[in-house]
Amino acid sequence: MIVLLALAVLGTLGLGAVLVVAMDGRIAQLAGQFARQRIETEAPDRLNRDLAPVWYLALAAAGLSVVPFAPGHALLDSPVGIVIWGTCEALTIVTVFLHGWAPNAPFPLIGAYRYVAIALPVMLPSMFVLIAAALPAESLSLLAIVESQREIWNVARQPLGLPLFAIVVLTLTLRGPMDFADAADIATGTSADESGSARALWEVARAAMLVSASALAATVFFGGPLGPALPGPVWLWIKTAALVAAFAWLGRRIARTTPSRMLTILWVVLLPLSFLHLAISGVIAL
Amino acid sequence: MGLSSPDPASVFAAIGPGWQAPVERLLARQGLRRALTPRDAGILLVAGDMPGTAAEALSRVHDQLPHPRVTLRWTIAEETADAVAERIAATWRDLRAGEADESDHLPDQPPNEWKGVGPHGQGGKGMMGGTPYGRTMAMTGEDIRDGLQLDRYTARIGPFAPMLPPGLVLEVTLQGDVIVAASVQSPPFAQPADADAPELCAARMLTLLGLDEPARRSIRGRRPSGFWVRGAVPRDLGRIKDAGNARDRLAAFLAGDSPAVAATDLSELLPGLEWSEAMLVLASFPPSSILRAAPIPEAA
Repeated sequence: MIVLLALAVLGTLGLGAVLVVAMDGRIAQLAGQFARQRIETEAPDRLNRDLAPVWYLALAAAGLSVVPFAPGHALLDSPVGIVIWGTCEALTIVTVFLHGWAPNAPFPLIGAYRYVAIALPVMLPSMFVLIAAALPAESLSLLAIVESQREIWNVARQPLGLPLFAIVVLTLTLRGPMDFADAADIATGTSADESGSARALWEVARAAMLVSASALAATVFFGGPLGPALPGPVWLWIKTAALVAAFAWLGRRIARTTPSRMLTILWVVLLPLSFLHLAISGVIAL
Repeated sequence: MGLSSPDPASVFAAIGPGWQAPVERLLARQGLRRALTPRDAGILLVAGDMPGTAAEALSRVHDQLPHPRVTLRWTIAEETADAVAERIAATWRDLRAGEADESDHLPDQPPNEWKGVGPHGQGGKGMMGGTPYGRTMAMTGEDIRDGLQLDRYTARIGPFAPMLPPGLVLEVTLQGDVIVAASVQSPPFAQPADADAPELCAARMLTLLGLDEPARRSIRGRRPSGFWVRGAVPRDLGRIKDAGNARDRLAAFLAGDSPAVAATDLSELLPGLEWSEAMLVLASFPPSSILRAAPIPEAA
């Protein structure tokens, strides 16, 4: 069973990442990039440069490992699955920072610091949203959270949860309105001095993280593997693919404001909103 | 879109005097992609006759493209965009087949000699400051917002940086990404009135707002779609007497109008803004206004 679940995690991540890149219409583009020269900057932090995309992929895989592929079956059957996912979110900030730090160049470094400033306050709504989802289940285990949605999905029970979590997903995957690390005004920021396979691998890691975060959103808000007729994993894949498409669509269409303004919005609007969401969810769960 | 999308030719544009509008229109075509950094490009498109002052910078940009790379020149106004697009497509095929490449123009070494002053050799105080290899290193200075001591880093950006108007070389001093001082080292290249076209002005702002596809649509003369487009530009950003703020100007561009802006001196306009705000403000001016705002520095 463990082997099967491990295969499911890796297969979902791999095929999912290919699906994400295909949705962006960039399969051929990324394949071409792998064949190009990888540039060396002056005095880079080589270890962290090479590890950043690997960490990113590893965090996507670790995050996906707590997601149940069938009712009662997750690769990592942890009583605190939500906390493990939260750890992966927080470590993503470190990974993106190292990606911008390593090339030893100004624009990547600006992107790195910007991302930390934006992503830290995003972690707070994320925490409140996930805790709110754990309330009806009375457990931090994702298996229990899935079981708690047999009657009604959390997306209906906690309507603010998914929109707030969408912001978290866009931040974790450096997309659209939350892509402050690799923005156009700093020449693609943390990726500005990367070429060839290094650049392509970072894209692949971002795609894998989108799969992982969408699978978690499918589990927390749409009952994960629950569904009639079809087997559990198929339901999870359908829901994950739909969410991947939705997040990618939103990312392409919502404008990105300036970092300082986004910071104000995060602290002044979204943080109180997510706390309100938690309070309402708590009262309903009583 | 989809699985069958071919690999678009990735082009970094070095735009010379008079070629901003043709190049922006060219690179919005299907099958072409404008790279935001030379590291992401295979083809360097040199458009127009470059003044001698930009020659070294052009060589530097050339050497920043990863191998395999090819330089294409578009200098004859008679050559149509269709013809250039075809040349780019043919070159891109050669590049992908590994049948074309160019070696470095400049030797791979620092532009200036190592100074070798002081205990750490860079000529600054302690381990900070100084100008090893002719590039200034960060040194602490007063933060312009709260007066605390924060690293100041000075760099020259341009003349081919894609977020700046072509030709503009800015020397900026940054604390984090806040501009504390800016001076124009070299003014933007003069562009004829077609560079002020509202769909091009709108596209420059849309690109900075992360809306790549709507920006391309705008250049092709179609309605750009997106959520929170005007609202994403901070309300009080880049307010100019009689010409509203950056958000008003974006609204005007999107409505098909290109307002005349009497821009103020860039060295007064930019300090205090964060880098991303400054880029939005610059993009909210039609190129002719930027040219008036960046007077040619007096010859030394």
